[in-house]
Amino acid sequence: MAKKILIVDDDPDLVEAVTMILESKNYDVAAAYGGLEGLQKAKTENPNLIVLDVMMPDKDGYAVCKELKADPKLSRIPILLLTAVVSKIATTRYTQQMGMETEADDYIDKPVEPDVLVKRIEALLSK
Amino acid sequence: MQTQVQILVIDDEQIMRDGSSRILSKGGWGVITAENGQQGLEIVKSRPDQIDVILLDLMMPGMSGMEVLEKVHSLDPNLLVIIITGFATVESAVEAMKKGAYDFIPKPFTPDQLRIVVRRALEKRSLQKEAEFLRQEREKSLRDIATEKSKIKTIINCMGDGVLVCDRDGYIVLTNPAACRMLKVSEPCLMGNFISQCDLDGELSKTIGESLKSGDLSYTSVSQELSIGEAGEIFLRAHTAPVRSDLGETMGSVTVLQDISHLKELDKMKSEFIAMVAHELRAPIAAVEQQLNVILNRVAGDVSEKQEKLLVRAKERTKGLLNLIKDLLDLSKIEAGRMVQYKEPLTLQEIIQKVVDLMKAEAENKKIDLEFPPPSQNPLIHADRVSMEGVFTNLISNAIKYTPEGGKVWVNLGEEGGFAKAVVSDTGIGIKKEDLPRIFDKFYRVKTVETRQIVGTGLGLSIVKSIVDAHLGSISVESEEGGGTTFTVLLPRESNPTP
Repeated sequence: MAKKILIVDDDPDLVEAVTMILESKNYDVAAAYGGLEGLQKAKTENPNLIVLDVMMPDKDGYAVCKELKADPKLSRIPILLLTAVVSKIATTRYTQQMGMETEADDYIDKPVEPDVLVKRIEALLSK
Repeated sequence: MQTQVQILVIDDEQIMRDGSSRILSKGGWGVITAENGQQGLEIVKSRPDQIDVILLDLMMPGMSGMEVLEKVHSLDPNLLVIIITGFATVESAVEAMKKGAYDFIPKPFTPDQLRIVVRRALEKRSLQKEAEFLRQEREKSLRDIATEKSKIKTIINCMGDGVLVCDRDGYIVLTNPAACRMLKVSEPCLMGNFISQCDLDGELSKTIGESLKSGDLSYTSVSQELSIGEAGEIFLRAHTAPVRSDLGETMGSVTVLQDISHLKELDKMKSEFIAMVAHELRAPIAAVEQQLNVILNRVAGDVSEKQEKLLVRAKERTKGLLNLIKDLLDLSKIEAGRMVQYKEPLTLQEIIQKVVDLMKAEAENKKIDLEFPPPSQNPLIHADRVSMEGVFTNLISNAIKYTPEGGKVWVNLGEEGGFAKAVVSDTGIGIKKEDLPRIFDKFYRVKTVETRQIVGTGLGLSIVKSIVDAHLGSISVESEEGGGTTFTVLLPRESNPTP
C-alpha cells in the first residue's frame, strides 16, 4: 500500500509543486493550507510522514511540530520541516538552532530539488 | 577734551591779575581771572573739567583763600591749586598744603618762578588726565570681557548640542543644559565634580580619561555612540577631543554630544522595511523556483531540449534573486545590530579551516590551488562565530570566482600588535585602481569582460565590511589589475584568553 504524506504549507503553489513530486513517486498525498488545518489532518488523515512549512500565518511550523510531538498518538510520525532560510550568513546559526530547538526529524531549505526531497523522505520512512 | 590749558587766577589785586595773565599768556596758556573767591568758584562751577590749574591768593577780602581752596576741592578734588602768599609765612603755606593745595609761591615772584611752578603743576595735571584715561579704558575692557563672557555662556547654554569640558585633572569645568538633558543628570551633579564620580556613562568617562592621558599628538578626537536611559532609549553620538596648549601639553578635554535617537529610529525603520520587503519578495520567487524544479525533473511531463535550456536559465535567475534577498536581509540585520550578538572567544584558525574545507570542492572544480598553511600563531578573538564564517566564506569564494583556472588562492593567519591578522590572497584578475575605493560599497560590482559571467549580488563585500566593523576591526585591500588581489582583515585580539 502506498505510503501517505501530509504536506502543510500556506502557499498553494508550493503545495501543488511538492504534491506533483511526491505523486510521481507514487506516494499518497494529503494537503493542508495552514498550521491549524495541518494539526487536524495529522489526526484524521493518518499520514506516514508530514512535510511541514515553518512560516505560516495562523500557527507556525515550530508550534505545530511541538504539539504533534507532545501527542502520544502522533509523536511517532516523522516530520520534515520546510525551512525558508532567508539569510545566507545565518544559515549555519539557523541550522544549529533548528537542531536544538525543534523536535523535527529533518529539515530542508526551500525551494527543494525534487531528488533531494525524495531521498530525505525515503530515509525518514525507512527508519 | 579741550586742547588749550586754562588757568584760573583768583586775586583781589588788579596788578597781580594782570601781571599773572601777561606772564602766563606768553607761555601759550589760556587765562581766566576772578577778583574774589566767590567769583572764582562761580567760574569753576560753570566750566567743569575745563580749568586745569588755579592760582589762588590766600589773603582776600570776603571769602578767604583757605575757604576757596576747600570749596574748590569739594567741587573737584583733582583740581590743582597753587597758593600765592603775600605775607610769606611758612605756617599759612603749610596749612594750605595740608588742605590739599598742590604748591605755593611767595609774593613777590619773578615771571620765571611763576612759569616754573605752573609748568610743574600742568605736568602733574596731564599725568593725572592720562591716568584717568587709562583707568576708564581698563574699566571698559573689563566690561567688554564680562559682556563677551556672558555672551559665550548664553550661546553655550542655548545650544542644541551638549557640551562637557574637563580640566586636565578630570574635573568638569563647563557644561550646558543640553548635556545634562541628554545624559539624564542634573547640572549640580556635573559641575565641579570629578568625571568618574558623576554617574556618567562608563564608556564616555573612559574616553574622556583616555583623551586627558593622551600624550601622543596623533590622538585627535574620538567619536562614539552611547545609549542612555534605563531602556537605552536615547542614542547619543559623543565627540571627545583633547585641548592642547601651544606646547602640545594636554590642558583638558571637550566633549560635544548630539542626540541621534531619531536617526537611529529611521535606521531601524529602514532595516525593518528592507526585511519586510525581502520576506514578501522571497515567497513568490521560491514558489516559482519550486515549480521550475518540478518541470525540469520531468515530474509534470516531458520537456524538450530547447525548453530545458530556457528553464535552466530561468532557474539561474531566480536563484540569483534569492541570493540577493538573502544578502539584503543579512545586511539589514547587521546594520540593525542583530547579527553580531553572540560573541564568544574563538580562534580564527578553526573558522578559516572550516571555510577552506567547505570551499575545497569549488576550488578543485576550477583547478585552483586553495591553501591554508598552518599558522605559527593562533590568535584568540572575541567574535560571532557565524558571521566570522560569513566573512571568510565571502572573501575566499570571491577569490576563487575572480581567479582564472590554474591559479592560486591562499590564506595566511598571524598577529600584528593587538590584532589578529588574516590575509586572503589570490593570483586572480585583480581590481582596477579606480574601482578599489568603491568595492566595499553596496551594490558596487566591477563590470568588465572578464567579470560578466560571474554571478554576484554586489553586497558580499559590504556585508564583510559591516561584520568586521561591528567587531571593531578593519579590512583593507591591495590589488593590481591582472596582478592578483589581497584582502587583509584585522580583528582585535581577546585581551583575557580563557582556556
